[in-house]
Amino acid sequence: MHIRSIFAIARKDALDLVLNKSTLVMLMTPFLLALLFLMINLLLSNHTTNVLVYNPGKSGIEQVVDHESSGIKVTYVNSPDQVTAAFGPNGSKKDSSYELGLIVPANFEASLQAGQHPQVTLYINGSNMSDEQSQLLINALNNYTRSVANPQPPATIIQTTINPPSPVNPFQDIGQFYVVGALLGSLVVGTSLVPHLLVEEKEKKTLRMLMVSPASFADVIVAKLLVGLVYQFLLALVAIAITGGFAIGGQVPLLLLFTLLGSLFSISVGLLVGSSINTTNAAGAFSGVMSFLYVLPLFFVGTIAQLLGASPATQIIKILPTYYIADGASKAVTNANALPATMLDISVIIAVILVLTLLSLWTLRRQAVVVSMI
Amino acid sequence: MTSSELMIEARDLRREFGNTVAVAGISFQARRGTIFGLLGPNGAGKTTTIRMLTGQIDPSGGSATVAGCDVVKDRAQLKERIGVVFEEQNLYERLSARLNLEFSCWLYGLPASRADETLELVHLRDRAKDPVRAYSNGMRQRLMIARALLHKPPLLFLDEPGRGLDPISAREVRAVIKQLSEEGTTILLTTHLMEEADLLCQQVAFIANGKIVANDTPRSLKLAHGQRALSVTLASDAQAHNGAEPFNETTINPDNPADQQKLAQWMAQSKVLAIHSREATLEEVFIEVAGVRPS
Repeated sequence: MHIRSIFAIARKDALDLVLNKSTLVMLMTPFLLALLFLMINLLLSNHTTNVLVYNPGKSGIEQVVDHESSGIKVTYVNSPDQVTAAFGPNGSKKDSSYELGLIVPANFEASLQAGQHPQVTLYINGSNMSDEQSQLLINALNNYTRSVANPQPPATIIQTTINPPSPVNPFQDIGQFYVVGALLGSLVVGTSLVPHLLVEEKEKKTLRMLMVSPASFADVIVAKLLVGLVYQFLLALVAIAITGGFAIGGQVPLLLLFTLLGSLFSISVGLLVGSSINTTNAAGAFSGVMSFLYVLPLFFVGTIAQLLGASPATQIIKILPTYYIADGASKAVTNANALPATMLDISVIIAVILVLTLLSLWTLRRQAVVVSMI
Repeated sequence: MTSSELMIEARDLRREFGNTVAVAGISFQARRGTIFGLLGPNGAGKTTTIRMLTGQIDPSGGSATVAGCDVVKDRAQLKERIGVVFEEQNLYERLSARLNLEFSCWLYGLPASRADETLELVHLRDRAKDPVRAYSNGMRQRLMIARALLHKPPLLFLDEPGRGLDPISAREVRAVIKQLSEEGTTILLTTHLMEEADLLCQQVAFIANGKIVANDTPRSLKLAHGQRALSVTLASDAQAHNGAEPFNETTINPDNPADQQKLAQWMAQSKVLAIHSREATLEEVFIEVAGVRPS
């Protein structure tokens, strides 16, 4: 393996991809898809969240509620009793015009820092908020208090929920759908780029030139994978960021892990394709089929899967490795403690990547012989 | 000839693809600083020989030493000492000429300024920023030569350098090859164009059906296989305005005493306009030696 050759080929490919109109369009697709999702999200989520707040000390914790809810309208009151009266006791049924209520004691941050474990009361109207949304909000509040003071737990958050939590409303939790959709849509990039880069070298006979240069066939393959992985990972991150994946809540490191695993899966599929076919047209056709297989699991994970229930289609879709990327990413976006629930997803994806890589290596050993005939 | 004078030494080199014998045991030597031509029709085994000599494929049998390197055992060193210009124009079409060369600079660990020097050498500096897809065939060929020369290899392989070129482009490429040879680069070229070989090569080997059937200097081959004859152009007795040619041509044998006398007489009468020797062309020699046409 020759590092200089690998970086030289990777540098050339990175540049050539941008100069090539068809690959440039390919690279732009995740951006456009993410922007489309963002626009749809903005159009559909024009709901106003009414929040009743008692916050005499102007604590910054109020900003957490603002950040976690869309289209927020805050009403301030002068006493905590007004908030309590607007919602009622825990478990009661009441027709309230507010979705959220918050009672924050005066000098909240100072009390936190003094280690006094101040108490925050959060009122939730179950008619308008799902359990998942409530949990995300509580996690966000806890994270804020930990950022102010270290003792565990620094504050007590008392949750009071009126009206039974609403059944799953996919349109209410649509944010995660867009994030996972943007991630899955972006994965087509690696699967398309790697075979394109490999096949074009064979098709244009430039591979012969590389074979008489200091580069080896292994250097060429590693360089293509490197370019595919870097473009794939960066584009996936940008697509997730555009759709607000890092701001929705959930567990960002886990989402990053699934983005990386998805990217590795994508380029390993691309490597297998690139080592098996010899024309860019065939590579393009394969990418079209793969884009369908990547996006399909989106409709069988998260809140949409809960709506569908245990249908036969839900079981069949689990034979697709991409299902486990979608499932894991969906859990990472919606649940701050998703790691245990995603272990199966992580294991399946890693196993599939290993199998694909071994298959590719076997194919490439044959390909190395074929290269000499080109 | 000492081994240091030899840039290429092939010893009974063979290559088979399945049951097909592409190269059937060839041996030849190319001296440092010469242009060596490997001539033959399509499918004769020229490109396979180049692939073996440049380390792209392993020989099925025999051995070869190229620029002091064994083509199988010393492949990494061999790559640093040779430049290869391929038969097909395998350039990165979307990249500019300069970027094509810069890429090779990155591969060999050379400064990017070397790209400009080499572009100057093949007279493409003015068009350095143009994408290669806008280049003519001749310009592409020169660019491929520039690419092969970037790392200043002492030995250059040119596979069919004149293929598909118009006469002007072919002349430009030949000029570059001659210039390189004058500067000391050893060149092995394959071609099926006998005129091209005649104009460029100091030594040629004819290859047919995977075997070398002749190996010598073009002049020696032509003298050995050509006719011993003189073509004499004489002033015509007829009037040019009658529509007849103002001269006529005849062939004489310089070893025949009667022909010698005739020539002396025409000279005395000042009737001789031109005399040419009738040596064979390389193509005629090839047909005679190999029994097939070169293209």
